[in-house]
Amino acid sequence: MSASVRSMSLTFCRAARVAFRAFNPATRPLSTGYCLRTEIRPAGGSRDIIESTEEFRFVERLIPPSRIPAPPKHDGPAPSGWTPPSDTPPSLPYMIRRSRMHNVPVYSDIKHGNQHSTLIRKIEGDIWALNKEVKEFLLGLTGKDPPTQVNEITGSIRVKGQFDKELKDWLLNKGF
Amino acid sequence: MFRATLAICGRTVVKRFISSVSGESALPPNLRLPPNLIGVAAEKRPPPSGSDLPVVRRCEADVPAHLTPAQTWLESLGSRDSDQLGVVDLHPDVFSVPIRLDILHAVEVWQRNFKRISYANVKTRAEVRGGGRKPWQQKRTGRARHGSIRSPLWRGGGIIHGPRGPTSYYYMLPMKVRVQGLKIALSAKLAQDYLHIVDSLEIPTPDPQYLQDLVKHRQWGDSVLIVDVGEEFPQNILKATEDLKTVNIIPALGLNVHSLLKHESLVLTLEAVKFLEKKLLWHDVRYTPLYPFKLPYSDLP
Repeated sequence: MSASVRSMSLTFCRAARVAFRAFNPATRPLSTGYCLRTEIRPAGGSRDIIESTEEFRFVERLIPPSRIPAPPKHDGPAPSGWTPPSDTPPSLPYMIRRSRMHNVPVYSDIKHGNQHSTLIRKIEGDIWALNKEVKEFLLGLTGKDPPTQVNEITGSIRVKGQFDKELKDWLLNKGF
Repeated sequence: MFRATLAICGRTVVKRFISSVSGESALPPNLRLPPNLIGVAAEKRPPPSGSDLPVVRRCEADVPAHLTPAQTWLESLGSRDSDQLGVVDLHPDVFSVPIRLDILHAVEVWQRNFKRISYANVKTRAEVRGGGRKPWQQKRTGRARHGSIRSPLWRGGGIIHGPRGPTSYYYMLPMKVRVQGLKIALSAKLAQDYLHIVDSLEIPTPDPQYLQDLVKHRQWGDSVLIVDVGEEFPQNILKATEDLKTVNIIPALGLNVHSLLKHESLVLTLEAVKFLEKKLLWHDVRYTPLYPFKLPYSDLP
């Protein structure tokens, strides 16, 4: 038992020394692909080392962009179901912008496990006209007049109940 | 009581009848200025919506289809009377956002407090020098019982819940809230006619009196904040604003809500407008950061 422990500790020390030599920058072998910006042959002569920056493009193509790209042009719905907004904004007294990921800004919310609500954000213009139309639409859909909360300052409407799919389709049909 | 209310109602009805019958503006008499008053604000210039002057600058970024750019005059600092040189388009998502006073207040309070470190510190009864020994025995002296001369009840004793050590009031508002605060401040300046666009900051003399005359003549207000892009400014304007307390010049990177609220009017160069629109509109179309934006991204310099 003590002999096996001793042999295990010896192999561990040997492996640690090898790992230390590999990771220590002073003793690491130089052929690990570390590149500088210019292609020069160092004055040393005998060692055959070329420093090149050709491989840096493999790093550059991995760096992500910071801007969300504009979606490609689609006539009508895309295969995923996403529909672009209409080119001319609909001639209604209000306007609903798309989110930064180009989606319709209708979100469903749930509180205390049983209170469902739907939030329509990014509303500009006459928010009360939109509120009236939302109430009429949901009255026709469910037969009940749903309570709504209009926040004029932030431009959002919160509706009691979970209607996010229906409201999204309704707004898409309007052309937002 | 009924007769009194009837008399009051009758008086207000008569006042309203008089103001509707008389052809003047409906200002109450305490707000009407006499026509020969010196130094009163002149008639506001009409906004350049229907003018014949060419649009000198269009917005580089795409303007949403349901909005139109805000327009304002292009002026110059070269001579006293060179305003209305042209018309400048300003992006509505930077210069015509809905004015949210709560966001403006939050950003201003944040700017005041996030740098604050309060160094107030007082000693508790454990830290005040002395007070280890019981001053007199517990019983039979006739005096109140005490355990140490530095308890908070004593004169010279420790303070119980005083300020403890340097406290930092640092907190950060979300980046988008701070950006929105800047946009709201710029929109407020434009809406209140306190925003002036200038082609460049060249002035003929380094005399501060020239700038003060210009500000007074054009009725820009009591204090002016001049903003330009880059680190190089013309020597004349630097010398002119050096000793003036109310006219200040800053680079566009130093624009902040507190300075905008502190100075009455804002003067931007065309380059500064382009820079601000580019930087402030990027926040509407950016991804959430995977790593801090200080590190390189493929489209950020």
